Amino acid sequence: MHLYALFLPPKSALTKTLRVMKLTAICLLLFCLHLSARTVSQTITLSGKNLQLSQILDSIERQTKYIAFYDEDVIANSRPVTITAVRQPLVDFLNEVLSGQLLTFAIKNTSIIISRKEAVLSPRSITAPAITFPITEIPTITIMGKIVNEKGEPVEGVSIVVRGKSNGTSTNASGEFSLKDVDENASLEVSYIGYASQIIRVNNRTTIDIVLSLALKLEDDIVVVGYGTQKKATLTGSVVSTSGAEVLKSPATNLSNTLVGRLPGLIGFTRSGEPGNDATTLMIRGSNTLGDNSPLIVVDGIAGRDFSRLNPADIENISVLKDASAAIYGARAANGVILVTTKRGKTGKPRISATHNTGFQRPTVIPEMADAATYASMLNEIAFYNNESLGMFQRFSEEDIQKYRDRSDPWGHPNTNWFKEVLKPWSLQHYDNVSISGGTDNVKYFLSVGARSQDGVYRNSGTKYKEYNVRSNIDAKINKYISVALDLAGSQEDKDFAVTDVFSIWRSTFRGKPNTPAFWPNGTPGPSFLEFGDQPVVTSTKANGYRLDKWFKLQTNGRINVIIPWISGLTLQGNISVDKAFNNVKEFHKPWYLYNWDGNSDHITVPGKVGIVAPTLTQSTNEALQITMNSYLSYDHTFNGVHNVRAQAGVEKQTIDTAFVTARRENFLSPAVDQLFAGAADEFMTNNGSALHSSRLSYFGRLGYDFSNKYLLEFTWRYDGSYIFPKAKRFGFFPGVAGAWRVSKEKFWQENIRGIDEFKLRASWGQTGNDRITPFQYLSTYGFSGNYIYNVDDQVNNLVELRVPNPNVTWEVANQSNVAMEMGFLNNRLAVTLEYFYNVRSQILWIRNASIPASGGLRLPPENIGKVNNKGWEAIVEYRGSLGQFKYNAFLSGSYQKNKIVFWDETPGVPEYQKSTGRPMGSQLHYVSLGIFSDQGAVDKYPHWPGARPGDVIYQDVNGDNEINGLDQVRNTKSDQPTFTGSFSLNLQYKQFDLSLLVQGASGSQKYITIEGGESGNYYKLWADNRWTSENTRTSYARTWDQTVPYWDNTRNSYWLYSSDYVRLKNVEIGYTLPLGLSKRIRIDGMRVYLSALNLFTVSELTKKKMMDPESLDNYAYPLNKVLNVGLTLNF
Amino acid sequence: MRKVFKIIMILFLLSVIIFACKKDFLEVEPLGEFSENAVWSDPNLVETFVNSMYSNNFGNPFGNRKLSDFCDESRSSWSTTYNWNKGLMSSDGLQEWTEGFGAQATAALTWEPLYATVRMENIFFSRISEVPATSPADEEKIARLKGEVYFNRALTYHLLVSLYGGVPIITEVYGLDADFSAARNTYEECINFIVGQLDSAIIFLPPSLATELQGHATSGAAMALKSRVLLHAASDLHSPSKNESVAAGFAAPELLGYTEDDQTARWQAAKTAAKAVIDLNLYSLTKENPSPTDNIAQNFINYFTSYGDPEDILLQFTVPAMIAYAQWGAVQSEPNGYNCWGNQTPLQELVDDYQMNDGTDFDWNNPIHKSSPFENREPRFYATVLYEGKKYRKRPPEYAAIDPFDKLQTGRVFSTGGNLLVGGIDTRDGPTNTANGGYTGYYNRKATDTTLDAQFERQDIPFRQFRYAEILLNYAEACIELGEDAEAKTYINKIRHRAGLPDLSSSLSGNELKEAYRRERRVELVYENSRFWDIRRWLIASDVFKQTHSIDIRYVAPDGTTTYRKEDGSDWSVPTYTVIETSGDLRIWDNKYYFLPILRTEINKNNKLVQNPGY
Repeated sequence: MHLYALFLPPKSALTKTLRVMKLTAICLLLFCLHLSARTVSQTITLSGKNLQLSQILDSIERQTKYIAFYDEDVIANSRPVTITAVRQPLVDFLNEVLSGQLLTFAIKNTSIIISRKEAVLSPRSITAPAITFPITEIPTITIMGKIVNEKGEPVEGVSIVVRGKSNGTSTNASGEFSLKDVDENASLEVSYIGYASQIIRVNNRTTIDIVLSLALKLEDDIVVVGYGTQKKATLTGSVVSTSGAEVLKSPATNLSNTLVGRLPGLIGFTRSGEPGNDATTLMIRGSNTLGDNSPLIVVDGIAGRDFSRLNPADIENISVLKDASAAIYGARAANGVILVTTKRGKTGKPRISATHNTGFQRPTVIPEMADAATYASMLNEIAFYNNESLGMFQRFSEEDIQKYRDRSDPWGHPNTNWFKEVLKPWSLQHYDNVSISGGTDNVKYFLSVGARSQDGVYRNSGTKYKEYNVRSNIDAKINKYISVALDLAGSQEDKDFAVTDVFSIWRSTFRGKPNTPAFWPNGTPGPSFLEFGDQPVVTSTKANGYRLDKWFKLQTNGRINVIIPWISGLTLQGNISVDKAFNNVKEFHKPWYLYNWDGNSDHITVPGKVGIVAPTLTQSTNEALQITMNSYLSYDHTFNGVHNVRAQAGVEKQTIDTAFVTARRENFLSPAVDQLFAGAADEFMTNNGSALHSSRLSYFGRLGYDFSNKYLLEFTWRYDGSYIFPKAKRFGFFPGVAGAWRVSKEKFWQENIRGIDEFKLRASWGQTGNDRITPFQYLSTYGFSGNYIYNVDDQVNNLVELRVPNPNVTWEVANQSNVAMEMGFLNNRLAVTLEYFYNVRSQILWIRNASIPASGGLRLPPENIGKVNNKGWEAIVEYRGSLGQFKYNAFLSGSYQKNKIVFWDETPGVPEYQKSTGRPMGSQLHYVSLGIFSDQGAVDKYPHWPGARPGDVIYQDVNGDNEINGLDQVRNTKSDQPTFTGSFSLNLQYKQFDLSLLVQGASGSQKYITIEGGESGNYYKLWADNRWTSENTRTSYARTWDQTVPYWDNTRNSYWLYSSDYVRLKNVEIGYTLPLGLSKRIRIDGMRVYLSALNLFTVSELTKKKMMDPESLDNYAYPLNKVLNVGLTLNF
Repeated sequence: MRKVFKIIMILFLLSVIIFACKKDFLEVEPLGEFSENAVWSDPNLVETFVNSMYSNNFGNPFGNRKLSDFCDESRSSWSTTYNWNKGLMSSDGLQEWTEGFGAQATAALTWEPLYATVRMENIFFSRISEVPATSPADEEKIARLKGEVYFNRALTYHLLVSLYGGVPIITEVYGLDADFSAARNTYEECINFIVGQLDSAIIFLPPSLATELQGHATSGAAMALKSRVLLHAASDLHSPSKNESVAAGFAAPELLGYTEDDQTARWQAAKTAAKAVIDLNLYSLTKENPSPTDNIAQNFINYFTSYGDPEDILLQFTVPAMIAYAQWGAVQSEPNGYNCWGNQTPLQELVDDYQMNDGTDFDWNNPIHKSSPFENREPRFYATVLYEGKKYRKRPPEYAAIDPFDKLQTGRVFSTGGNLLVGGIDTRDGPTNTANGGYTGYYNRKATDTTLDAQFERQDIPFRQFRYAEILLNYAEACIELGEDAEAKTYINKIRHRAGLPDLSSSLSGNELKEAYRRERRVELVYENSRFWDIRRWLIASDVFKQTHSIDIRYVAPDGTTTYRKEDGSDWSVPTYTVIETSGDLRIWDNKYYFLPILRTEINKNNKLVQNPGY
């Protein structure tokens, strides 16, 4: 049986019914199968020089069914062993290995327990005089060595750090390193991504050669946390992370689109696929507040940066702080924090990596609409229902309908598929990247250049996107104590849009009448059939102008790191970051032409100008400047070998200034020159401008203590001041505490528990804030809103009271509690994490307009009155393994979150079934659809709206008063946000081939979908084909209707609700790497070719019914794309 | 040592950068707003605050959904009919009155926005005493502004009372912790309050204003509003012996009208108020004595596209630069054959109310009228209604081939066998913009600037909120109700004379005179937001809210015909005119609709409110 097959969950696991129970069952099943699949062996074959004990124990685990339990610290002091054993019995082998060590072992069932010899703890050693620290300097030595991988090849860029100290280095291209000033008794920590980190005692050696072993133990992962990094094993908070390599597997054009499914607990929806506007809405653990739910983004330590347009090739790591671990970010941390770290240079010869990608994209779903014959029949039905006495063929004769059907008369009776006319089959996208990194001991660099382009899905698309990125991350060591870094990242984004907005293009395509030609048979665009001359085959192109939205962004950061020489373990870091963004928007409208045919037999079409009479130009410039300065002291020290103390304290201030100016002219004489001067200086010429300034001041810190990596405790805090609030309420204190207990480190566990290598319990609680509200709510101010006109064309401003001031406005407060269990099985190759969280957001700013009568006339300010709780769980199962050349890892995660409004402003006297309190945010009132009145008898039998007729939607008489009115509306419990999201990913590697896939799904959400069908637009094919007619009375689809005329289209009801649950193959990639020998022959270091895809398959009701993508905002949004990509990476 | 020095220097610099921030670092002023104190110390800013009140009270009269669509004047092309007109509004929602596509003219006419305006007006009076006047000009301005806000407060309450009956009179400025509950005042208390406000306005306001101040209220405007308010108050809808059809069984009839049956005194007050405006001698009817050579229809067209005239009492101006298409009068209503949106199409019922130019009534039973219904009608018909075959402005060039004659095409050409051959370009069966074709066979001409191409350009002609003709009609109505028929006829005849019509028959009296007056008012003030209220206060809505009618015009042409008219511009045949039921425009009336419902949510929030009867 192939092991990886176990990771393909049964079909039901991909559905919304996935629950912890099942996850646990899968884990257990896997665990048992894995064990039984092993060959039982009790002899060891191993030979080597100076082998670390941990390596030996690993070998035992690999060769036998035995699992070794030990305390890392216990083995850290062991001596290296040189041994030659061929099929040596296990007990003998262990005796030989441990002879001369201060260690002993015991075998219980299939566990080997390694512990200190009792002798060490003899009374004499306890009563030995207390160790005194020598006053004189400890002699230091210089260590040289070479680091190779499991194949014996030198590895470059391996980090070697002296434990508990800050000095360290990394290997050069030949895998060699040299480290000065090392205490002869020190331990070295050797780490390299993808390999197990090792602790090596120096023991007065000056030459140390190290063999890296592949990281199969998940606990060795390092994660980035606020203002620092931590080892995953000793983490106390709820943090998930993913690597830049993972992110790169997706051919998505926006970094934010690549994260969904890779970071459990991070919920995201891509609401639009429009090139340049396709950022995913990200939320950590769903919605927690009625207000802004967006997480804080921290890029390379600087808060509030935009990351969706970072070059994915520059990303080292992305991690997400989901609980109180975010408290160090205080007043902006309530919605969680996403930390992005970019790549840095490593010592060694320059490494050049170049990538090229070409992708082909198309919408995931192309809506299917009614054809001309059906549409014409439906218009006839509308007229019939309005006046039955005039019969069924008031608009189109049977002959007309036949002509629409048989396409015999393309001029007079066209049958247009508007989506086919507007969209092209495939559109191109490109992504190229070149990076160079390397460095010496003193200066390291990472330089990267990226370029991306994406075409719109329209034929002759007026929408295109281009992006260029450059980055230079440079680290320099000035002396033994001081190092500096300078990061510069610039990007240019050219968002080139059709001047008609997306909504109008898609709306007019949906409204496209199938009996109106998109193009006449002679190739000219068909006539105007909507307001404003909106004819999507033209308005989706550049024929009517353009909107060029250009961004130039510069992110800079200068960093200095000072090791304070007087106190061991104390460092000071300072950052000054200046981020500047310029935005230019140029919107040039020009008249366009649609063609009319008057029925002449020569089929001559005549162009007509539509839209606007003369070109207009609006040009605006925005600029933003964000300056962040921070400085913090960090202290990291181990006392007596077991008391690890980490402390941090710092200060940060941030200012943001934005300003815009805009100008507009109309009545250009000619579209030839698209500059402002060429427009008329007439009454239509306008300009405008304004500015915003914001500032924040914060103090923050962290205090961490752990005993022997076994009992861990961390306290973080931030004291935040924000310009948003009144002077007296400007500062807030936000604490977070977290603790963890690595139960598996306990002796009782190691002696008694088998099969679970790692067992960690952790819990956290924190109070964070959310200050994402409109500023100055405490001030009583007036602002301009609209205009009034006196005399002829004398337009003056209207001044209005902006709000009733709320002098008590303050932060939203998030109480975040989290408990979790982390388990490691199979020698930590299998990791399982279960998390439960309970968030209570209080003091949510909400407007009391539900209880304050409108007769008060108040423009109400938000007040800190709302309270929402959000609870749920996350389960993560991760497995990394290998079978000879076959390496694989699999990742399964599920997260569930459900929020509930505990308190907000509710209108008094509302019946219980209509209250929003106690229900999830965003739940709406609906009349409850019971189906369709099949005939007049059915209408007569049940209470109904005045004028209801057969084919109409039956509303439930909820309160049983035999009348349908507002009291029959019921508040549902679902919104357009899913309650469950899950993902499964698999990475396989066999020799030169690799495969990775990511399946992602969401459930528990629904969408309200209507359409402007009728006189002004077409219908979904599904709705049209199955509609109620006097011949088709047994159907669940309503009769033909005209726009919002029937009560069931103009009052919200459950007939239009569709489940937006989905499961999709979000990402798949197949790669082939050229064998090393071959690539050497063509003088490159490596080459890989790959095929990847985004959103390749989707299973959902909405896609099956050919209506829309389940993630899209609505049917008039630019759809999500399916992308097929081919790529090539070269390394020099 | 140098290393240590460097470290100390760096530490020092870092701490300077971080900690050396200004004490008021977090003290940030909003850059896009005015502080309260700045506003109430500057008369110029106060004036811009008053501007908002006009905006709110007058709304977008050229918007997409007009009051004309909600009475027996017109029909929209964008909906089969409004659910509002089918009586489907309820305390759960006012249907298309407030909801729908774009900013409609009716949106401003509801409880919430009107009370928001009341608050502005109340704020003004609570703060205006603080505003310093540094010059006589300032003093004059402050006095004028006071008058304008009295006028606006009266107008806001007038709209509230007209929609809902008696409403809570709120004059205080609520803070966040106030007791917001408020009971409805009686109808009579409301009218007295409004009249009191107007009397104050008349004192503070100047009788006339410099040209650049046109559009601000004058004392004349306040008197005109007073005339309108008292006319409404005197009407049957609010009279206890007349309004049983609405108020019967209702526990609080004082909310809907007067409780004492002294309608005569109220008509007298209405008459006096109208006469006061007349006696100002400031206003006159435009072209009140047309000469025989005058094109009287053109006089009306010119007046309604003018930017100010002695007939105007208060104008609401518009500008072409306004982006919001709620302001685009012409594109809303001009035909789809001009790439416009064909809204507010006149109903057959309205068209039939225009007399012949000899002062006789139009009659479909008259064979001459039936064969050529658009000939020899009174001038205001031609100034208001666009109909089949009417020579209108030049077509957009792309339609020159379809209509080389610039004559409206609201009919259809059929084969002898009865098959539709060509639908007129201005119908929903034509070659273009079918979704924007009118349903009634007519289009609106009133207040349209035909020198512009409305599909591209916005017109800037003002909307006439108050004009002298209304005052004359108000006066005449009061006179009729008081039995002063001769006086009434004198003033109605001024209106008819200006319209080129003969005087009313001297024998006309009583109910016949009332009917003649009502038709006169209907055609004179059509599309000017009068009829909507008139059918209510006269309690005739139940008679006029029914299946509406439109015109079906057919030509017969040989098979294979592809043009609407012959090449020489003549018709293919004599047209047949048939009055038909307008597709999908069955309007339903229930007497409870004389007043709007107060929304259920508002009553839940303020339990002192009493709902109007029937909801």
